Amino acid sequence: MNPTLSELEARASAPKTVFGGDAHIVCDNLVRIYKTEGVEVVALQGLDLVVREGELVAIVGASGSGKSTLLNVLSGLDVPTAGVARVAGMDLLSMTAKDRLRYRREVVGFIWQQTARNLLPYLTARENVELPIKLAGRVSGRAARGERAARLLELLGVGSRAGRRPAELSGGEQQRVAIAVALANEPRLILADEPTGELDSDTSEEVFEALRTANRELGVTVVIVTHDPLVSEQVDRTIGIRDGRTSSETLRREGAEGQIVAEEYAVLDRVGRLQLPRDFMNALDMERRVRLELESDHIGVWPVREEPSDEQ
Amino acid sequence: MKILALARVHLGALAVLALLTLSACVLLAGLPRLVQGSFDAALHQSLRGATASQVDLAVRVESRSRQEDLREPSQFAARDQRFRSILPDPLRGLVLPAGTGTGHMSAKTWGTPVRGSGGMTYVNLGWLSDAGRRVRWTEGRAPGAPGTMNHQGTTITVFEVAVTEEARDKMRLRVGDLRVLGESDHVAVRVVGLFAAADPADRYWSHHPDILRVTEVQPPGKLDLERHTTALISDAGLTALSGEGRNLRYSWVLPVDPGAPTSLGVSELTGAVTAYGRVVGLQPGGGSQYRLETGLPQLLTGFLAALSTARTVMFLVLGGLLAVSVGVIMLAVHLLTDRAGEALTLARARGGSLRQVAGTGAALVALAVVPAAPAGYALSWLVPGPVLPIVHAGPALVCGAAVGFAAVRTALAHRAPLRERRDDVAAARPSAGRITLEVLVVGLALGGAYLLRTRGLAAGTAGDDPFLLVVPLALTVAAALVTIRCYPYPLRLIVRLAARGRRAVPFLGLTRAARARSGSVLPVLILLPALAVSVFASVIADGIAGTQRLASWQDTGASLRVTSPVELPADAVARVGAVPGVELVVPAQTASVQLGYGGERAEVIAVDLGRWRRVLDGAPVSVPAMPAAGSGVPALVSPELRGRGTLEVGWQTRVKVTERGVVTAVPGFFARGKFLVVPYEINERAAVNTLLIRGDADPRAVARAVGQPRAQVTSQAAALAAIENAPLTGTVRVVLLVTTVALAGYALVAVVVALVLGAADRARALTFLRPLGLTERQARGLTMLEILPMILVTALVGLALGLGLPAALGPGVDLSAYAGGVAVAGYSPGLVTPALLAAGLAAVAALGAYAHTVISRRRAPGAALRAGELV
Repeated sequence: MNPTLSELEARASAPKTVFGGDAHIVCDNLVRIYKTEGVEVVALQGLDLVVREGELVAIVGASGSGKSTLLNVLSGLDVPTAGVARVAGMDLLSMTAKDRLRYRREVVGFIWQQTARNLLPYLTARENVELPIKLAGRVSGRAARGERAARLLELLGVGSRAGRRPAELSGGEQQRVAIAVALANEPRLILADEPTGELDSDTSEEVFEALRTANRELGVTVVIVTHDPLVSEQVDRTIGIRDGRTSSETLRREGAEGQIVAEEYAVLDRVGRLQLPRDFMNALDMERRVRLELESDHIGVWPVREEPSDEQ
Repeated sequence: MKILALARVHLGALAVLALLTLSACVLLAGLPRLVQGSFDAALHQSLRGATASQVDLAVRVESRSRQEDLREPSQFAARDQRFRSILPDPLRGLVLPAGTGTGHMSAKTWGTPVRGSGGMTYVNLGWLSDAGRRVRWTEGRAPGAPGTMNHQGTTITVFEVAVTEEARDKMRLRVGDLRVLGESDHVAVRVVGLFAAADPADRYWSHHPDILRVTEVQPPGKLDLERHTTALISDAGLTALSGEGRNLRYSWVLPVDPGAPTSLGVSELTGAVTAYGRVVGLQPGGGSQYRLETGLPQLLTGFLAALSTARTVMFLVLGGLLAVSVGVIMLAVHLLTDRAGEALTLARARGGSLRQVAGTGAALVALAVVPAAPAGYALSWLVPGPVLPIVHAGPALVCGAAVGFAAVRTALAHRAPLRERRDDVAAARPSAGRITLEVLVVGLALGGAYLLRTRGLAAGTAGDDPFLLVVPLALTVAAALVTIRCYPYPLRLIVRLAARGRRAVPFLGLTRAARARSGSVLPVLILLPALAVSVFASVIADGIAGTQRLASWQDTGASLRVTSPVELPADAVARVGAVPGVELVVPAQTASVQLGYGGERAEVIAVDLGRWRRVLDGAPVSVPAMPAAGSGVPALVSPELRGRGTLEVGWQTRVKVTERGVVTAVPGFFARGKFLVVPYEINERAAVNTLLIRGDADPRAVARAVGQPRAQVTSQAAALAAIENAPLTGTVRVVLLVTTVALAGYALVAVVVALVLGAADRARALTFLRPLGLTERQARGLTMLEILPMILVTALVGLALGLGLPAALGPGVDLSAYAGGVAVAGYSPGLVTPALLAAGLAAVAALGAYAHTVISRRRAPGAALRAGELV
């Protein structure tokens, strides 16, 4: 039976459930296109992402899949071309320059891959941590600033290195100081772009532990872009990105016998699109068309069989 | 941001910036002072060279009745005080106090005939307020109070007067003589003494040439000379001097200090003199009107006209220096902000506001510039000269430009917290707006140059014509724009050729060079004007030097010239020939001769032109050869005597000479009027009074050898030194030299800074190419090929522009004031210096590039790869 006009009106005015709800990070159909003279690069092609507050997630993907672009967008350094990007309730697309500055000062902190790029080489570790506090112009005295810096460095295990310059620190220490810098203004979100990319596995472990400490002790949401299987295996959720879209999610939970069980899921977007893992497609020689069958508890996907009799 | 800590990291770039700022401030504050100081010195020299009667302000009034007579010196003094009190402010500082300098008061009659002389003898009466200290009595006594005598039944005044010795000799006025003056209203004068000037050379006497000398006038139609003198009377004689019966004029001379006016205040002074003349005319003076007589405005205006074009050249050169020095400082700021860019990017990303980041960039630059600018300003005070607004404005401008540029550049670079630079992928295409603007600038520059050449300069406004200043600037900018826009195109053609070749280095190097990136714009914008202005300056300096030499030769006509009012005996000529250093002595006879049988006279020189030409061998002047003799005595004549065919010359005997050619000037002797050059043998007995000498003999030795005390020895070297040492000339050459050196230095710094600026990018490219098999030598070649086209093209365009500027300015540049009055024309001879300048610069830049590649070789090939891509 067709709906009446009043039914349609009621349906239109009813509050819609927003994608992602009140999650901490919401990306909906996010697009980012770089335009340079003669060259156009589509780095994000309708990416969806939802991260809850206090989560520790890893984003993995091949080189050029759009991971770093996503991180730059989330850190307020870059503006997406279209779509929705919301962090802590702030819409990253409609922010003014002033909002964006406040966002970078108060909401987000980040760590880059190159250890040298995170810290000013001519400042000591403590001064580096104090710098964002000073830049934010928060009303806190020198003593309070120093105290916070010392506390953060202590928390991350580099308290004894407070007076050293970056050149006098090891790579792992530099990254831990960088995490302290990112945490200086008590942000609600930490973004780390390959934070262990230049480190050996032991040092990586230390740095990852520092990130986990920040997540656990300070309740900060942490998003890590990584290639490092060591990192991706130790977070609750790993999000895979392929060709500028979220393609898969791996959830880890503790099994009944205490062992870690990892389950990989394909991501279903809002309009029902789904990326099948490439090796699955290759294995069954699927291309262009598949056949779907709805069962009571699942959907079956079959490769198209060439059956000449059917066509006749 | 801990600016001091940041500064410590970039100490090198900061030091370069500070040094550049210091040098720019010294030059910009010092050179204008030097120039202005020399302008003032030249003004003072020209005023001192003029007579006091031209320079001083003289208020004059005529007395026509007894009521208008002034009978007491105190009456004069009261009026003197009044005339001084109404002086306008600009003149007040120039006029010396009463009783000093050439200041005085006088009363003189004119046209006072001696009775019975038939109007051929005039004895005027003169009173000088300061006669007591201006003259000395050589015979008799000083005049006293006047008396009376009976003359034709009436009582007339007898003035006691003193006359000069010349008047005694020429007018037979001896001590004790009595003369009755006037044709209707008679007075008598009794000569009681003779006087002479205490200091005849004093400028003071230019006010009263009639008192010191007898004036002789040949009245039309008469054979005898009419003689005038002015006899001095005493203060007491003033009481009897009345304007009722004769022409009587009172004067108040307000002496102007020739060292006081400044060249900047000339127009104000001229106006003040005019205003003063009006005010003086309005003073109550009985029946007659006071009037101001002075040649000061004419002198000042004449000086301004002589100075104006020179000033324009100075402004051009100094303006070029300003532009280039500010450009180089901006390049250094570019370097510094680039170096600090990473720290600023991080600070911006970590929550630094645009104001904080731009402020940090500006503060970093200020740290170098702000102490350096006052230091340069302070150093400039060591340069003598008046303080001009630019002295203060120059350093402030440099400071402001550097800090402002740093702030703007940092703000633009960090406007967005993350810069996506993809210019490695594609060069940005110029926008339509920019191309339109560039076409407009080029069009305006060419149009301006065309107009300047066709229109010329409005008479009297030369130098202050803003057009003259704008056109070179526009031409330079236009040339820079065209260079920047066009130089990749021919390069791309070469790249195509190189691509066909087997070697990779030319292809790669030229390809990089052809990808004109925005970073190479600033060096071109600096290099081009630097080269253009320094080439222009060196061309002008060359022109001046050459013309000065020409002027000195035109002045003397030989290395050494001896002229004597009396005949020089043959043994004197022989003695001169024996003086060490004398290579050749050519005797000549000069005289003023009668032409025909009338009163027409002409100057003549009898000389062996062939030998004289040997004396002038190698000099910039020459004399024509005497054409092969036909019938009669050949002669070269001045343009004024052209076309007369045969002339009858009355010298020792009457000789008929035949015109064989025209000569416009005879160097060392005649430049205008009527003159002749005739063979040495014209006279039966040669009366040598002139010697033309070749060689570098000591003029004093020559003078001793001549042995004639009245003979004068003129040396070309001395004449040249006199021209070169004129205050204006010396300074102009110093300024041109300093500017050329400074600009060449700046150009060099620009090249080096440009190299350093592109170093990171180049090093990265090399580090990527090295693992592909590029050898070190090839890497060096690559860098050279990348930087050389820009330097070469800019050097060539700069050279062409510098050489073309004098031609483009055409009528605007007249430097005759610097070359002893000879017009500086044809700026072509000095091609060598500019070419050397351009070539030297290109060579040094190439060496710099080479050194740079050698230094960057130390970087391990893997370093850049490991560091990953920059932001």
